[in-house]
Amino acid sequence: MTAAGTRETTVTWSFDEWFVVALARTIADGEVVFHGFASPCAQVAMHVARRTHAPGSLLIEGATYAVNPSPAFVPPTSNDLSLHRDAVYRMRFEEFFDAACRGDVDRMFLSGGQIDGYGNTNVTAIGGLPRPKIKLGGGGGGANISATIGALTVWTTRHRGGRTLVARTDFLTDLGHMTPAGSRASLGYTGGGPQWLVTDLGIFDFEDGHARLVATYPDVTLADVERATGFDLRVASDLGVVPGPTPAEIAAVRAADPLGVRRSEFGPDDLARRFGDAG
Amino acid sequence: MSGFRLTADKRTSLADAAGYVTDGATVALGGGLCARLPMALVRELVRAGRRGLRVVGSAHSMDVDLLVAVGAVEVCEESYVGFEQDLGLAPAFRRGAESGTLNVRESSCVTVLTQLRAAEMGLPFLPVRGIKGTDLFALHPEWGMVTCPFTGEELVAVPALAPDVALLHAPFADAAGNLHLDQPYVLDERFAHAAKAVIATVDRVVATGEVVAAGVTVPAHLVAAVAEVPFGAHPSSCYPGYAYDRAHLAEYVRASVAGGEALEAYVDRFVRVGEDAYREKVAPERLAAWSKSDDEWKGLFL
Repeated sequence: MTAAGTRETTVTWSFDEWFVVALARTIADGEVVFHGFASPCAQVAMHVARRTHAPGSLLIEGATYAVNPSPAFVPPTSNDLSLHRDAVYRMRFEEFFDAACRGDVDRMFLSGGQIDGYGNTNVTAIGGLPRPKIKLGGGGGGANISATIGALTVWTTRHRGGRTLVARTDFLTDLGHMTPAGSRASLGYTGGGPQWLVTDLGIFDFEDGHARLVATYPDVTLADVERATGFDLRVASDLGVVPGPTPAEIAAVRAADPLGVRRSEFGPDDLARRFGDAG
Repeated sequence: MSGFRLTADKRTSLADAAGYVTDGATVALGGGLCARLPMALVRELVRAGRRGLRVVGSAHSMDVDLLVAVGAVEVCEESYVGFEQDLGLAPAFRRGAESGTLNVRESSCVTVLTQLRAAEMGLPFLPVRGIKGTDLFALHPEWGMVTCPFTGEELVAVPALAPDVALLHAPFADAAGNLHLDQPYVLDERFAHAAKAVIATVDRVVATGEVVAAGVTVPAHLVAAVAEVPFGAHPSSCYPGYAYDRAHLAEYVRASVAGGEALEAYVDRFVRVGEDAYREKVAPERLAAWSKSDDEWKGLFL
């Protein structure tokens, strides 16, 4: 109760909600944005962005290629009719990929079983091919369009375990800023490459093509990040705390994702992280 | 002589339709992820004991995993095989890749698309964006490099891809083989134009007027054979008829994870019994309930 006698609203949120908001905030208003398969957090984040700070964006809905749909819920599979709702237009597969190749898609979300300091990701095979330790699903169109899309938001919910952010990926599926074959510029790539790396521990930007930690969550220490990061950890001199979500953003997450598909990306420890307090 | 198919009546049995696929064929599977997969045709390939197949396409799940599970696939060139965060990694595909029994020549969506377009256009190759600097390039000795004669830019060049057989499932078609599909078409249209033989199963064979009214997506002159197989995409979805059957997909994934006897038991129970018996067992009519309300629809995903 405040001195004036009015009752403030209790605003608490869980980590998965905060993570989705962090992804949503990487979208600038007016961008043309896409998410690929197997990315429930990115999928929800795109709808949150459009419902909050980025209402002027154009959202291309995953494997359905529907343009600006307003689904009542996000299903666990990214190719479902439920995702088309209220879409005036649905692109063809080739229509979306052509747009991405010629530079008309501003942002895409990319994750990976491994991510190196330049934002290269491995979505193909831990341990490389032909005899992988773990054969992952595969990169979809990433090996083509990571070269041409305007900016990439790279993300993972598995930073803490220490096996995801690595010095060198076992297989290079999607292109970051610098590959063994050369830089993006030397390879003639027009897209801007990774702009953000959003993890369960904090947020990185990319300075001179290399990931740089700019913020951590309040329950995470720099030592936690050092322990979990296999590549050279560069830290911004003004390292901050990830800004908390607003009530409107939290409400948008809950409204966009009533089935809670975003939670499938997190282990029980992360789902138990709660934040916020009564006013 | 044109490759167009001018027979007036394309209707055939499921077994005869699947018979277009021979051992060692390059097969394009239609649909994508857990939607509109040609599952009845895939089950028929299992029944026929096909071997040595090369599968090409974009994002798939149970269709590829089941074929890999029974040892039918020699080479997999899909851009993604898995059940997303829904049901996780594709178990047999994973096991095949990790044990070395499956030759994984992973490709990428724009690359496959470009190869199909080259075939459609009657060209031997086309250039494609990206790929340089990735490890996909080393998996494909058949890809090359080309220098643009106008700008001097170096691009990856990929050869035309005309699959031996495209296996599609559509909601309906007429007897002539005019198919209607709803979006997303995924690569079905491209497969239909590039493949040497296009084989389709449909939930219903209808009068030509009905297909014309809804829109002919793949014209009859591209289609070699059509088999009427209600719920032929099950357990994947084929809207508006039916949503996907999550419970059955989960049952399959459990059997595929376990492998060995559990996987054999799944194949005996659901595949070897024949397609009519399969349909009776899985009772897919309840999957039409998605259209009653958002709550009913959401309930199908729990």
